[in-house]
Amino acid sequence: MFETRSVRSRVLLQLIVTIAVVPFLIPIYAMVSRSFSGAGWGNYAAVISVPGFARFFLNSAIVAGGSIIIIYIATMMAAFGFSKLRVRRKEVYFWMMMAALTLPEVVLIAPLYATAVQLDLLGTFWSVILPIAALQIPFTVLITRGYVDGIPDTLFEAARLDGANTWRMFWSILVPLARPMAVALIVLVLINAWNAYLLPKVFLTSEDMGVVTLLPEFFRRQYNDDTPKILAAAVVTAIPTIVAYIALQKQFERGMAAGAIK
Amino acid sequence: MTVTAPPELRPVGSLDETRAGGRTRRKPASRLIPGGFVWILPGLIISVGLIYYSIVYSGYLSFFDWAGGRSRMIPVGFDNYVEALTNPVFWTAVRNTVIYFVAVFVVQVLGGVLFSAAMHSKILFANVYKVIIIIPVVVAPATLAPAHLQVWQTNGTFNQILESIGFGFLVQGWLGQSTTSLLVVTLVGCWGSIGFGFILYFAGMAQIDPEMLEAARIDGAGNLRILFSIVLPNLKPITISLAILNFITALKLFDNVWLITQGGPAHSSEFLGTMIYAETAGSSRNLGYAAALSVILMLIAVVTSVVIQSRSRERVANSEELPRV
Repeated sequence: MFETRSVRSRVLLQLIVTIAVVPFLIPIYAMVSRSFSGAGWGNYAAVISVPGFARFFLNSAIVAGGSIIIIYIATMMAAFGFSKLRVRRKEVYFWMMMAALTLPEVVLIAPLYATAVQLDLLGTFWSVILPIAALQIPFTVLITRGYVDGIPDTLFEAARLDGANTWRMFWSILVPLARPMAVALIVLVLINAWNAYLLPKVFLTSEDMGVVTLLPEFFRRQYNDDTPKILAAAVVTAIPTIVAYIALQKQFERGMAAGAIK
Repeated sequence: MTVTAPPELRPVGSLDETRAGGRTRRKPASRLIPGGFVWILPGLIISVGLIYYSIVYSGYLSFFDWAGGRSRMIPVGFDNYVEALTNPVFWTAVRNTVIYFVAVFVVQVLGGVLFSAAMHSKILFANVYKVIIIIPVVVAPATLAPAHLQVWQTNGTFNQILESIGFGFLVQGWLGQSTTSLLVVTLVGCWGSIGFGFILYFAGMAQIDPEMLEAARIDGAGNLRILFSIVLPNLKPITISLAILNFITALKLFDNVWLITQGGPAHSSEFLGTMIYAETAGSSRNLGYAAALSVILMLIAVVTSVVIQSRSRERVANSEELPRV
């Protein structure tokens, strides 16, 4: 994009970027270096051997997996219906959904908490998965509908003439053709669900249902402010996400970019 | 919130459904297009159902004092709203939201443009830099909060750095002072959001026509001139998207604030998100007051979205394309 012809300007640019990156490394450096103080690797050994540690990761996987399945099915079906099928007043339904596009989750916690208490749903994974799905679906439907609109109608008409029913059209045409969009969508939901903090904090109150974002607090209780161990726990928690990102850079960036068009 | 209305509903089955080019052989659509209400139903029930139910229930709850569970609901009329709007803490939260939004937005735009411009200019180790600035975006704020505490506490990394470079007189308890707690929360917000701006700007810059840049260069434009006269105007839709997203983020901010300062000391770093949380799940909860705050927050979000939307019509054209990364 920008030309740096002379050696001097090239070195200067490299220097500026390197200096600008330093602030990003400070918290990471602070976290990693302090996590080794005292017992060294012993801090990590202690953290990993805490009973129930793996449970947090399993619970996060349940929340993320459940959200992905519900959102994927509901989104693909809705995008198919909105884009290719005959629905009376479909734009009214569509805009009802889009009105919730930028709704922040904090406005849901008071009414949902009250409801969850009454329905005895407090402390079930549903109380987290359903709000996550509800808040993501308007957006995922918006981008997927836009994508499905780009698939020619004639494809579906031809299938129809060949005797395919609606289900067959969905399964054999739409699902395979919408796969690139589905990947971006799944990564986006995965990041959001894995990193969700407020909803699990309010609704998953029992210790054995904690998700990874609740680990720092768990270890603070466990270790009475033994900072190196808390930081070791944070490092261990961050590593899977960082590895996943480095392995799937393109997909992550596409998923996050998709999240920006609200 | 800003989307073009998809193609208007044609009366399905009408015979005038001809497309450009005189392709009149299309069959009446009703035979070809099957009905599909059941297909949109699951999405509608989960999202519209749950969200609209919550909003209506919020509105209802906001007229009561209620500690939740089996305790009695006391009807109080508009008292919760009056209490919110006359509470100085509420106005502190509003002020903090505005400050946070402006500061993070500006830093995100500047940082995002700087990094994406640099990484489009063949620097060494570009991928390493990229991973470093995006890690704060992909790892949960809740996971990284202990690291920020370690940086900003009184005997923490930041004060150590200050001392080692001769700025020891600036050493202070950043988290424990009502004058600096908001600064810390805002800086952590900047730290976590530059990478996101970078992703969008980097993708946007890749889509700028190289011939346009070449032409400008032949006409004698320098790097800065190209940046301000060609690159940035082309990226305006992204900047507007970032403004909206940042505003919503500031309105609902909770994770970092709660884990780093808990909104304190003395409510100096309070945000609407932390206020609603404390009233929903705190020890002296009042779900009615939390609901009233939620309704106010929602109104601010809706009004602002509508204002931004009507101010930036040109954005509409770009809002349905997925930026290619």
